[in-house]
Amino acid sequence: MTLTTKTVEAPAVSPGPGKGGRGRSRREAGAGIVLTIPVAVFFVVFWLVPFCGAVYLSFTDYEMAGAPRWIGLDNYARMLQDPGVWNSAWITVVYTVFTVLPTILLALLVAVPLSGPGRLNRVLRSLVMVPAVMPLAATSMVWVIIYSDRGLANTLLGAVGIEPQSWLTGSDLAIWALVVMVVWKSLGLFVIILTAGLQALPREVYEAAAIDGAGPVTTFRRITVPLLRRTLLFVLVISVAGSMQAFVPAFLLTGGGPADATQVLPYYIWANAFPYEHMGYASALAMTLLVAMLVVSIVQFGFLRGGDE
Amino acid sequence: MTDLTRRRLLAAGALSLAAPSVLAACGADRPERPDRQAQDGRPHGEVSVWLHGSQETGPQFEKLVHRYIDEFGVDVKLLYLPVAQLDAKLLTAFGGGAPPDVFKIGHWSFPSHAGKERLAPIDPRAFGAPDVATVLGRYEPGTVAPLSYRGQAYGVPIDLNPAMLYYRRDRFEEAGLDPDKPPTTWEEVAGHSKRLTSADGRRVGLQWLYGDPQWALMTLTALIKGGGGELVSADGTRASLDTEHGIRALEYFAGIGNPRLSNPLGALGLFYSGEAAMVVSGAFLGPALERLGEDTLKPGKDYGVAPMPRWEGSRAVVPAYTWGWGVAAASKNGFTAWHLINYLQGRESVTANLENGIVIPATGWRDAGPRGTSELMEIAASGIPDADFGPAIPAALELAKAASSACDAVAHGRSTPAQAAKDFDATVRLAL
Amino acid sequence: MRVLRTVWLLSAVAAMLLPIYVMLVVASAPDDTDLGGLVFNGFHLPENLAELFAGEGFPVYFRNSVIYCVGSGALDVLFSSAAGYALAQLSFPGRRVLFVLVVGTLALAPMVMIIPVFLIVKELGWVNTIQGVIVPGMISAFGVFLVRQFALGVPKELIFAARVDGAGELRIFLRVALPLLRPALVTLFLIHFLAQWDNLLWPLIVANDPALWSLPVGLANFQSEHGFNYHLMTAAALVTAVPPFLLLAGLQRYYVAGLTFGGVK
Repeated sequence: MTLTTKTVEAPAVSPGPGKGGRGRSRREAGAGIVLTIPVAVFFVVFWLVPFCGAVYLSFTDYEMAGAPRWIGLDNYARMLQDPGVWNSAWITVVYTVFTVLPTILLALLVAVPLSGPGRLNRVLRSLVMVPAVMPLAATSMVWVIIYSDRGLANTLLGAVGIEPQSWLTGSDLAIWALVVMVVWKSLGLFVIILTAGLQALPREVYEAAAIDGAGPVTTFRRITVPLLRRTLLFVLVISVAGSMQAFVPAFLLTGGGPADATQVLPYYIWANAFPYEHMGYASALAMTLLVAMLVVSIVQFGFLRGGDE
Repeated sequence: MTDLTRRRLLAAGALSLAAPSVLAACGADRPERPDRQAQDGRPHGEVSVWLHGSQETGPQFEKLVHRYIDEFGVDVKLLYLPVAQLDAKLLTAFGGGAPPDVFKIGHWSFPSHAGKERLAPIDPRAFGAPDVATVLGRYEPGTVAPLSYRGQAYGVPIDLNPAMLYYRRDRFEEAGLDPDKPPTTWEEVAGHSKRLTSADGRRVGLQWLYGDPQWALMTLTALIKGGGGELVSADGTRASLDTEHGIRALEYFAGIGNPRLSNPLGALGLFYSGEAAMVVSGAFLGPALERLGEDTLKPGKDYGVAPMPRWEGSRAVVPAYTWGWGVAAASKNGFTAWHLINYLQGRESVTANLENGIVIPATGWRDAGPRGTSELMEIAASGIPDADFGPAIPAALELAKAASSACDAVAHGRSTPAQAAKDFDATVRLAL
Repeated sequence: MRVLRTVWLLSAVAAMLLPIYVMLVVASAPDDTDLGGLVFNGFHLPENLAELFAGEGFPVYFRNSVIYCVGSGALDVLFSSAAGYALAQLSFPGRRVLFVLVVGTLALAPMVMIIPVFLIVKELGWVNTIQGVIVPGMISAFGVFLVRQFALGVPKELIFAARVDGAGELRIFLRVALPLLRPALVTLFLIHFLAQWDNLLWPLIVANDPALWSLPVGLANFQSEHGFNYHLMTAAALVTAVPPFLLLAGLQRYYVAGLTFGGVK
C-alpha cells in the first residue's frame, strides 16, 4: 500500500556480469543471504506459516484441545446463518465509513491553512501530532471519563441546552462515541500527511490561479484536491484498512456492548477465539475479513486511478 | 505451477500446526498421576493460584494462605486477575500448556474445561476422605452438582449465590408502597416498578443487570422455567427463546428498568444511589452495600430483601450461580493443590467468608458465624433447594452470551422480542 | 480572511488538545468526587504519581514497556537495516521471493494472524516468556520496506569505490551504507517504539505473569489492583503518555518523514 513512491519502480541495481567478476558476485550473493536470513526466517515463521495455518484452520473445527478436525466449508456456511456476523459486518461498515470520511474532510480543512509558512503554523503542526502519538490504552481511559454522566461530553451539551446523554450505555450512541474518539486520535496523523503533501505541491500553479482571480474555494476544488489525489489515496487506503482491523477501541471503551452495538468484526473474531475457543470459526471469520479488505483496497485503487486518466 | 506451490504451502502450514497438536493429544503432555511424592499424604512444593481480586476479602484470604504456607511449608503463589479477563487468560494458559495449579472459576466454565480434559478430578486423599462421595457429602445437597461433569466431580463450591430480590424501603415509602410487603410475584414486580419509575426514566423500579451474560441467562431461566416453559432442553442439545414463554419473558424484561442508566458499579451502584428501587442479586450484595460508602445502607432500615419472585400461581425457580475451586489436570502438584483447597474451605474460612457475604455451602454454614442467622442468609438458604444453575454444557458461556444479546437488544429497542428470539435461536443452534 | 483562518486553526487545535487537558485535570484530582474534567480541583498530581509508583505493579509495567519497546525496536533496526540494504543493493538468489514475501504481509491484518501465531509461540514453548512477548512483533514489513527505499538512494559509486578498495561486502554495509541510512533507522526506531508502546493485544494474550506485563496490559488490569479509582487510573494513563510525547518532541522531523513516506511525492 506504500508502493506509490517513484523509487520503487526503479529496478534494484545489481552490478552486471563483468563488473566484479565471478568471485565478487559470489561474495555479494553470500553477503545478501547472510544479511537477509534473519528476516527471511522471521517472515516465514511468524507470517507465512501462520497465514497458511489460519487458512487451514478456517476449514477445521479446532477448539484448542485435541487435533483440528477437517470440516470443509462448514465454518463459512455457518457464517451465513450466524446473526452475530451480520450485526458485526454492518457495524464495521458504519464504523469504517464514519471514522474515515469525516476525518479526511476535517484533516483537509485543517491542513490547507496549516501548510503555509510561519512560526505559528509550525507550532500548531507540532501540537496537532500530540493526540496521534498518545497510546490508545491511555487515552481511551480519558474518553471513558469524558463520556461519563457528569463528564465533558454532557457538560458541553448542557452548555448548548441539550440534556445529558448516555454515551457508552446507550446502544444508539455508543458507536458514535467510539467514532468520535477514533476521529480525534487519527486526525493529527492525517493532517501531518496531508500537510506534507500540500507543501510538496508546485507553488506556480497557485500563483497562476491567483492571477486568474480564482477564489479560495475554487482553488481548493480545482487545484488542491486533484493535485493531492495521490496523497489522499494513500490516506484513504491506510485509514480504511486500519478501521476495518480496529479492535482495541471497542475492546477498551465498550467491550463490544451495549447490546452488541459496538461489536465490530475484529472484536467478534476475538470473542470467538478467546472466550469460546472456536479457533476454526474465528479463522474463517478472519479470512473473510481479509478478503473484504483486499476487495475494498482494489476498489479504492481502481476508483481513484480510473479518475486519474 | 502457482497452484501447485500454493497447495504445497497450505500443506506445510497445516502440518506445522497439526503435527504438534496431534502429538500433544497422544499423551506427550499428560501429567504423571498419581504424583509420587504425595503418597506419604503430605503437601509439598509450590502451588500457583489464580483468582479474581476482591478488595474486601483479600486481606483475610491472604492471612489464611500465609498460615497455610507456615503450617505446611508449601510455597503458594497468588495471582489476582480482573473477573472480566480471568476466563480469557485461563484459556490462553491452558492452550499454552502452562495453566496454574489452582484456580477459582465460575460453575459455567467447568463443563467446557472438563470436556477438554483440562481439569483434575477431586483427589479425596487430599481431603482426608476415603472417597469423593465423602468430600461432596460435606456440602449442602445440590451445591456441588454444577461443578461436576458427566458424573465426575471437578471442584468444590465457594461464593454460592441463589438469586433474591433487594428493594429500597425509602423508595417504596415515597411511592406509597408498603415497605414491609415486598413483591412476591413478577406481576407485582411489574406493578410496583411502574409506580416507582419517574417520568424521565432516570429513577426506576426493578433494574436488571444489563450486559452480563450470566445474569441474563439466570433471569431468563427464572422467567421462562418459572412460568412452566423450557429454555434449554433437558439433554442440553437444544435451546429456544422463540416460544410463547420465551417471547413473553423478553417482553417482560424489556418492559422494566432502564438500560441507559450508567454507573461504574452497574445496577448495584444504581441501587446504592437509589436510582434503582429494586435489583435481583445474590447474597454477596448486602454485605457489599455495607462497605460501599460512608452513608451505608442498613438492612431492614434502608433496604430489605425478599425471596426471588415467581409467576403468580407457579412454582419457585431460584436461578443461582457459584464459583468453584478447580485444579488443572496438567498440574504437577495435584495432591498439594487439592490439599490447599481443602484448607481454604475449612471451618474458619467458612466463618470469615460468611461475614463478607460469601457463602461456602458446607453443611451447617449458617451456624458458622453471626451473619448466618440474618434474614439475608435465611433467604439465601431457603433458595438452595429450588436453585437452578442452568444447563451443565460446554457451550454454557455462549448460551449466556446469546441470552444477554437477546435481552439487551430488546431492552435497548434494537430488536423486537420476536426478532431477538429468532437471533438467539440461530446463534445457539450453531453453538450447541 | 487571515484572522478567520487563524481563529479556525487555533480552535481546531484547541479542540484536539481538550481531552489531554481533561486528562491532566482528572490526574491531578485528590479523589473521584468530581469527574467533570473541566476545572482543576486542586493540583494533587505529585501525590497521585507517588502513590502510583509506590504500588507494586506500575513500576514493573513501566520498566517492562521500556525493555520491550527499546529491545524490539533495536532488533527491528538491526534486522531491517540488514535486509533492507541487501534487498536494495545486493544481488543474491531468492531476493525477489523475499521481497514479495515481505511486501505481501503488508496486506495481512494482525487479527487474521493472531490465532496461528499464538499456536506457533505455544509450540516454541514461548508462552509467558519475554521472547514470546518481543519476538513475534519484532520485525515489520514496513521497516524492511522503509530501509530498502532509503537504501536505493545510496549512491552506487560509493559502494563500487569501496569494492575497488577491496572492502568486503559486510564491511561495506557497516562502514559505508549504515551511516548513510541513519535517518531512516531513527525513523524506524521511533515508529516501532510508538506502535509497541501502545501494543495491548499481544502481551495480554501471551504474558500470564504480571511480572511480564507491559503498561497497556497493566492499565487494562488497573481496576483489579486499585479498585475503581479514576483519578489514579488517569494519572497512570498520563505517565504512559509521557515517553511517546518526549520522543515526539525530540524527533519530530523523523516521525513526519516516516508518516509521509510513501504518501507524498
